[in-house]
Amino acid sequence: MPWLKLERRIAVVFVGLVVLVMLLMLLLVQRSGEHIVAVESQRQITAGRMSFEALVDQNRRQLELAATVLSRDFSFREAIATQDRPTMISVLQNHGSRIGAHAMMAIALDGRVIADIQQAQRPGEAFAFADLLKAAEADGRASDFVRMADDRVYQVVVVPILAPVRIAWIVMGFPVDHAWARGLAQSSGLDVSLIDAAAGRVLASSLPESRHAALAQAAPGVKDMSGELVLDGDHYQGVALPLGQQAWVILLHSLEKSEAVFKELEQALLITASGGIVLFVLGSLWLARRIAGPVNALAATARRIAAGDYSDPVAVKSKDEIGQLAASFENMRIGIAARERKITRLAYEDTLTGLPNRVRIEERLDSLGPTAEAAVVVLDLDRFAAINDALGHPVGDQLLRQVGARLAGQLPPRAMLARLWGDEFAFLLEGMDRPAVRAFAEALLAALRTPMEVGGQRLDVNGSLGIAFHPADGSGLNALLQRAELAMYEAKRRQCGFMLAEEVGPGPLPEQLSLIGEMRDALEKHEFILHYQPKLDLASGCVIGAEALLRWQHPERGLVPPGRFIPFAEHTGFIREITPWLLAEVAAQTAAWHAQGLDLVVSANLSARDLLDPGLVVLVRELVASHGLPPAALCLEITESALMEDPTLAQAHLEELAAFGVKLSIDDYGAGQASLAYVKSLPVHELKIDQSFIRSLAGSPKDAAIVRSTIALGHALNFAVVAEGIETEADLAWLRDIGCDIGQGYFIARPMAAAAFVDWIAARDLAFPGM
Amino acid sequence: MAALDAGGAGFEVRVQSQAGAPIEDVAVVLEPVSGRVPQLKAQVSIEQRDREFVPYLSIVQKGAAVNFPNRDTLKHHVYSFSPAKTFEIKLYAGQPAQPVVFDKAGEVALGCNIHDWMEAHVLVVDSPWFGKTGADGIVRIAQVPAGRYRLRTWHPRQKTAAAAQEVVIGATPARRTELALDVAPREPRHKPPADSGSY
Ligand SMILES: [Cu+2]
Repeated sequence: MPWLKLERRIAVVFVGLVVLVMLLMLLLVQRSGEHIVAVESQRQITAGRMSFEALVDQNRRQLELAATVLSRDFSFREAIATQDRPTMISVLQNHGSRIGAHAMMAIALDGRVIADIQQAQRPGEAFAFADLLKAAEADGRASDFVRMADDRVYQVVVVPILAPVRIAWIVMGFPVDHAWARGLAQSSGLDVSLIDAAAGRVLASSLPESRHAALAQAAPGVKDMSGELVLDGDHYQGVALPLGQQAWVILLHSLEKSEAVFKELEQALLITASGGIVLFVLGSLWLARRIAGPVNALAATARRIAAGDYSDPVAVKSKDEIGQLAASFENMRIGIAARERKITRLAYEDTLTGLPNRVRIEERLDSLGPTAEAAVVVLDLDRFAAINDALGHPVGDQLLRQVGARLAGQLPPRAMLARLWGDEFAFLLEGMDRPAVRAFAEALLAALRTPMEVGGQRLDVNGSLGIAFHPADGSGLNALLQRAELAMYEAKRRQCGFMLAEEVGPGPLPEQLSLIGEMRDALEKHEFILHYQPKLDLASGCVIGAEALLRWQHPERGLVPPGRFIPFAEHTGFIREITPWLLAEVAAQTAAWHAQGLDLVVSANLSARDLLDPGLVVLVRELVASHGLPPAALCLEITESALMEDPTLAQAHLEELAAFGVKLSIDDYGAGQASLAYVKSLPVHELKIDQSFIRSLAGSPKDAAIVRSTIALGHALNFAVVAEGIETEADLAWLRDIGCDIGQGYFIARPMAAAAFVDWIAARDLAFPGM
Repeated sequence: MAALDAGGAGFEVRVQSQAGAPIEDVAVVLEPVSGRVPQLKAQVSIEQRDREFVPYLSIVQKGAAVNFPNRDTLKHHVYSFSPAKTFEIKLYAGQPAQPVVFDKAGEVALGCNIHDWMEAHVLVVDSPWFGKTGADGIVRIAQVPAGRYRLRTWHPRQKTAAAAQEVVIGATPARRTELALDVAPREPRHKPPADSGSY
């Protein structure tokens, strides 16, 4: 769950920071605790050591004082002077017990023991610590820590007995035992231990008995001892001081005691921190949920919107950032919903006519299922490109809208009308049998027959229909449209209104299909251009005319040769779209040349379709009239084969044209099988000998003979004879010599653009000024 | 200076330290090697003045009686534990009723049981010819009859006792005798000021 992640992340960041802070705090406390303990224990040791030394000194002074007091005791001195040992011992015992001095001796000036309370029976021995006496002699008194005969250590002082001159010494000593150590420990705040470094023995200690063994182990290194000492797992900070000849005092400060305070503090902190962290976890989870909750709701809404459900408005509950976000979401939801509606409309609707588009009709067809009975009817307007060019796109668009409206009026129930593109419309008819579809097609054609009123002009609109059936003619809109379009072109070719795909058969190859589509585009995009090839009057050498030749300047394929697309255009009937445009171009160009003073006769080629089109004569009339041309400035070239498709209708149309005054020419004469009798009956002015004969003039005497006889025959029938495909000067001369009227070919000039044609004539006039 | 002036030839001794410093309070005694020793009748006093014994050193012939007049307003308690003469005169003021008779030759250290610093020495000798050096370290013993004597010196703080030596004293004054002696300095002892009134 993604929202859990956000929630967890917020909590993790917050809690992580708190844990970090707490850890740092604990670390700080621990660190400073350690530092404070170290400093504090050092301070304790320093203070304790001073205290210890002061106490030892105080003890010494106390001993000295007591000894001095004793040394002044008159009766004691008397006892000494009189060698009264029992009295001496009793006085020593008495004084010793007063201050707790367990060692009490009187020593003669010669160093022999006079009296000793511990060894009353053995007087007269030499005092064991001669050095002490020597020091006392030098300084008047002395003190030290010594190990006595009882193997115990004493802090002793030696003071003289003066009467008033020195008569003896008093030795007085406190035992250095556990009680002594404990007393000093209490006053100094440190643990006090006395050890015999050499013997590794604890002589006295304030520490519990259990630690003496461990302490004794540390004895050998006591001289160098500094810093820490571990006894029984407890840590001590210590310092060692020499005491007397062999003994060392170790003052120890227990770190545990100091650390305990900090341990307690740390524990309290740990508890507080843990509690704080728990509170923080709960708090940040609560906060995260408060933040994440509305975000989750928004996320859910966003998912619904992503799934295409725009119905639920986004609830805006608060005015904070989340609320603003929710408001933005709501605006977005409304915007997206509106745009989707628009996009859907654009996707399924033809913007010009408001009819469904190709996508929509395709979806509808797909939704019917693979076995459903349905018919696709394609309608294409005739000569729409010419109308568009002549009257402009706005008029064309208006026309399309009107046509759309009119077709929509014919829509039967459970049928859909769509505009596919350009002037092509399609119907999807469901559940209609063939007779019903035929009847519908008739009704459509009838509906179109009524002229349209566009921009104040009455326009006659004709269309051709192609019909394909689902599933018999194919599955899928593309396949059905292809079949229906082929049928439609065939209907256009035959001028029969509509055709069924099954009557036409499967269509041309895919490459040709694409060519059809491209030719449509070419016409719309003005990729078709006209080149003009001069026609020369051989006798005079004057340019008397030009033949307009269709060229296709394809944006990707380059210049498409006429042989590649013109036959196909003728075959599919598309030529009926091209020819009106071509004638209009030729008329306009001819008029332009006439206006420049070039009185040329310009020829245009007509296909059989064109020739059989009843609209041809009307169109030619309109063009001639609109450009103010003499009809004879136009020459229409018709091939033999075109004539033979429907010789009767062709003748009728030719006669109309001839009556109007337009010149007519039989193209490619000699290649076909037109009978001379038929040709003779046509109102034709010109015969064009097929290029194949002219090209083989030099090499084939037989062809030369045919040309010669054709010229003679043409002249006999009162035709002007044209030789095209002239490529050599010799051929030109030969043709002129045998009386051919007009020549055309590369040797004279290649076909060229209209602008170049004018330049070419100007250049030729300069070269042959006499002509 | 309490020297006997018995006539006859004088005898002069000068005592100095190894370092050549004159030594005061050196007892110098001439004991005749043989013959009778006359007993002097002399009155000797060791005063207590200003909480001190005056003089520090007294030399008396055996049998002499010594008075201990107390010139202070406070009391003293004079004692001696010396074997030559053990005695004490308990707290007294003024002149004690009886003088103390030193009837045995030897060294006697005197102290006061009240004032620890008070110290005096009495050398009891068996001869009437003796004297003690002054601050210049010189002592003159007058009117010593001609004859053979043992010359003895003694000082309360001498480190080692000097051996006695024989001297012959003629009718004419002899040259001064030079002696060296090693003496420890007097131990300083605390003496509270007198006006404190605490004793
Ligand atoms: Cu006194």
